Amino acid sequence: MNGTWTLTKLALSRERFIVPLWLLLLIALAAGQVKRYATGIGDIAAFAREMAANQALTAFAGEIPSATLAGMAVWKNADAIYTILGLIMILTVVRHSRSEEESGRAELVSAGVVGRLAPLTAALAVTCGSAVLAGLITAAAMAATGADAAGSLAFGAAITAVGLVFAGMGAVAAQLTQTARTAIGVAAGGLGLSYVLRFVADGSGIGALKWFSPQGWSHLARPYGDNNVAVLLLSLAFTAAALALAYRLRARRDLGHGLIPERPGPAGSQRLRSPLALAWRLQKGLLGGWIAGYAIAGLVLGALATSIEEVARQGAAVEEFFRRYTASPEAGMTDAYLWLIVLSLGYVSALYPLLALLRLRNEEISGRAELLLSTPVSRVRWVAGHLLFALAGSALILTAAGLTMGVVAGAPGKVLAGALVQVPATWVLAGVGILAFGLLPRAAAAISWAAFLFVNLFGEVLGPILGIDYWIAKYAVPYPNLPMVISGEPFTVTAILIMTGIAAVLTAAGLVAVRRRALT
Amino acid sequence: MELAIDVEGLIKSFGQARALDGLDLSVRAGEVHGFLGPNGAGKSTTIRTLLGLLRANGGRATLLGGDPWKDATELHKRLAYVPGDVNLWPGLTGGEVIDLLGRLRGGLDRARRAELLERFELDPRKKAKSYSKGNRQKVALVAAFASDAELLILDEPTSGLDPLMEAVFQQCVTEEKERGRTVLLSSHILSEVEALCDRVTIIRRGRTVESGPLTRLRGLARSQVTAELASPPDGLARMPDLHGVRVEGNRIAFEVDRTRLDAALAELIRVGVRDLTCTPPSLEDLFLRHYESEKAER
Repeated sequence: MNGTWTLTKLALSRERFIVPLWLLLLIALAAGQVKRYATGIGDIAAFAREMAANQALTAFAGEIPSATLAGMAVWKNADAIYTILGLIMILTVVRHSRSEEESGRAELVSAGVVGRLAPLTAALAVTCGSAVLAGLITAAAMAATGADAAGSLAFGAAITAVGLVFAGMGAVAAQLTQTARTAIGVAAGGLGLSYVLRFVADGSGIGALKWFSPQGWSHLARPYGDNNVAVLLLSLAFTAAALALAYRLRARRDLGHGLIPERPGPAGSQRLRSPLALAWRLQKGLLGGWIAGYAIAGLVLGALATSIEEVARQGAAVEEFFRRYTASPEAGMTDAYLWLIVLSLGYVSALYPLLALLRLRNEEISGRAELLLSTPVSRVRWVAGHLLFALAGSALILTAAGLTMGVVAGAPGKVLAGALVQVPATWVLAGVGILAFGLLPRAAAAISWAAFLFVNLFGEVLGPILGIDYWIAKYAVPYPNLPMVISGEPFTVTAILIMTGIAAVLTAAGLVAVRRRALT
Repeated sequence: MELAIDVEGLIKSFGQARALDGLDLSVRAGEVHGFLGPNGAGKSTTIRTLLGLLRANGGRATLLGGDPWKDATELHKRLAYVPGDVNLWPGLTGGEVIDLLGRLRGGLDRARRAELLERFELDPRKKAKSYSKGNRQKVALVAAFASDAELLILDEPTSGLDPLMEAVFQQCVTEEKERGRTVLLSSHILSEVEALCDRVTIIRRGRTVESGPLTRLRGLARSQVTAELASPPDGLARMPDLHGVRVEGNRIAFEVDRTRLDAALAELIRVGVRDLTCTPPSLEDLFLRHYESEKAER
């Protein structure tokens, strides 16, 4: 364990900007929600009754722990906090363990006076420490809003508990695979499974399932309700077991290797004959993941459509919320819901082409583009291969969600059309991505993320939740201008054509810029 | 004589920093040309400009008779490149990368590919992410040697290879030369350049400081002379043409410009010579002289 403290300090200094950032996000989600409800809702008990009767919302948010202001805030955002924190914990622990080994930095460190288990210990100390900090700070922020102390502490404990569980899960995954990306994939798979179990448990009423989900354990602690923190012993036991397993695996394996060994691959290839074939090899994993994710999201969200009419009848607030997503008074609540969902999927799908195009930048930074472009491959041909995936892939993922959702909701044609209408809007974001790559390659990643966040923050899905005026969205981002083909608006081609045109112009400008600039 | 590469007064700036400052380079068709210079002298920048990856700010560059920037794609059909820092696609095996690069360059010789894999002792079934630096270089080298490119541009291609593989590499370059190909070899390993190159260009801070056949460049440097004399060489130490004189009893060691060798030897003979060694200047001496003058200028 020699060197643990030194490595911990190193990890802390690398985290000094990231941790405060996400702590602020958690505080905004927890205490910020109390403030929003305190000003926005008059009768909290009536609001709680209305929400509790809504099976769909119960599936998304979980059961209401208590019909108080703080309890409702926890109900609204706790599940998001637990899941986001779980993901952060996985990323943090992998960043300080497997990524270090993969990059070779761990080799340099391990050659010094450093115990074999010290790097893992330092990674876990920082990760678990930040989970404890997250719990304490959230509890303090909740108490500062006037919520009762016992409930705030229970909420903090529930947050820390879920953080510890996924730190442990991340540590185990980091021992299993040789690359950080796969390790994150394995652990995030566990997080996703845990989310789905909790979702199904609350959505279907089979409460027993919740006992198999780490997020479920934190839900069962019911902060501001019965403050049943004893259930969090399960989280601690799971964490202890995961950590013991991670240490055992680490002690037994070689540095840089995983438990899942690399298999030898083919000695040659007849099929890799063009930049497009190479782009396919590099892009298929990302695209496959998004298609699978969107198909599953379509299934789950489509299944909820059948209970929406009932939900909407239960309160004026809910009905008014859904009314925003209709174009004619005749449109039913189910149609409004379906449009809201395909629109949300549209907004999120903007991330896919941006990520796909950032692979180009990655190729350039790593020097692989240099090797490729020293062959008779022109810049445009190189970029076009990846661009094809960014554009066609956007259409494919939305088709996947549209198909599964349409079939489950019983309106395949209509829902698929609604999903496909989103495609040109997403293409506009692809155009932004390629233009950034062409004109400002060094800032391409920052611009891509900023564009995605901008579109989503001003958009009509997240925008109203964050308190940004609804009407601004239409001028700032493409999605609100799409015809609401599911909820009562006839299909018109104007917006579609304009967006496709904008995307085409941005893409063409990006390609010209790529041709003219130096490789950096 | 036909020139494969003809560069005159090439200028390339990155912001304020001037990477190339009037660089000249001419490589004749069919020769192996050594391209030398300290770190940061501009070797890779020159090569990347020749490949059309960077655009020069001034000067003239002709590659295989074409413009490296405008005709990049056409010209790349006739060349193969091995970067100094070879990065490969982590998910592809070495064999897949070789085939991909070969196909993109217009096909590769299967028999030669197999032969090269054997000679470089490279396992083509391993994923690129598990290759060491040397093995990644071997992948790029096999792909380049197995192509039928007429010009090979090699940027410090052996920095990760062990001495055995270095020998294989030298053999391969010799074979390429016999087959009539042109090779531009940027290198830090002077013995490699001495063994392989017909002509050499030495650059420093973006400028060419020496260029010509190895034999002529050697003439520019000093010979190292050690002699055992009949009596102590008192008067010799004061001769103006001798450098780095060390006297120890009857022994004397010094460096002398080749043009002044006659006079120095005459003086030795006047004293009486018992034993004498005269070592011709190595490329390393030449190189160090330029490095040291750079340090002195700083």
